[in-house]
Amino acid sequence: MEEQIDSVGKAFVDHYYHLFDNDRAAMSSLYQPTSMLTFEGQKLQGVEDIITKLTQLPFDQCRHVISTVDSQPASVTGGIVVFVSGSLQLPGENHPLQFSQMFHLSPTPQGNFFVLNDIFRLNY
Amino acid sequence: MDPDAVAKAFVEHYYTTFDANRAGLANLYQDGSMLTFEGQKIQGSQSIVAKLTSLPFQQCQHSITTVDCQPSGAGGMLVFVSGTLQLAGEQHALKFSQRTEFFIS
Repeated sequence: MEEQIDSVGKAFVDHYYHLFDNDRAAMSSLYQPTSMLTFEGQKLQGVEDIITKLTQLPFDQCRHVISTVDSQPASVTGGIVVFVSGSLQLPGENHPLQFSQMFHLSPTPQGNFFVLNDIFRLNY
Repeated sequence: MDPDAVAKAFVEHYYTTFDANRAGLANLYQDGSMLTFEGQKIQGSQSIVAKLTSLPFQQCQHSITTVDCQPSGAGGMLVFVSGTLQLAGEQHALKFSQRTEFFIS
């Protein structure tokens, strides 16, 4: 059971950052109207506002390099909480930015997960 | 009460207790609680407090830089904290992030 949580968490993280780095608009498939994103302290809710924020970030290209992924079952909701740390490389920048991000994945009726909670912080 | 205020109060209580009396953290956890500490997975209040009280330092001081919270559904709250940890005798503070989900009963 534990391995399943870990492998779902890791598979989700791979998918999330692959979309982010290659086709940010397609990330709308990961969120639903109840989804919340807190991005560097700014609070957003719902697919439209979240995708607008992510696609309007002040860079066209980026590359996430993931250092750690920790997952735990969120027992009450049947979901999974995933905690990620890594670095974000922007073109033209000498040094990558360090970041931490936390996801709460909630199960859908079809047996998938969507991102209910998403919190992102750069680590200075 | 404002969720942000609740989260901030919880965070202050957690780190004040951690820095002053680590064993006092026991009443923040229950049997179903889980801690993953630098990759190590621990479950249950007793094991969690055993881990925290056996960390290789007597004194520490957490300085909190950011606190973000969101409702997690089913009456819970997710809190995401980043800050620094100063250990006695260490020149440079360690940076950390921690996320917790708590339920008010």
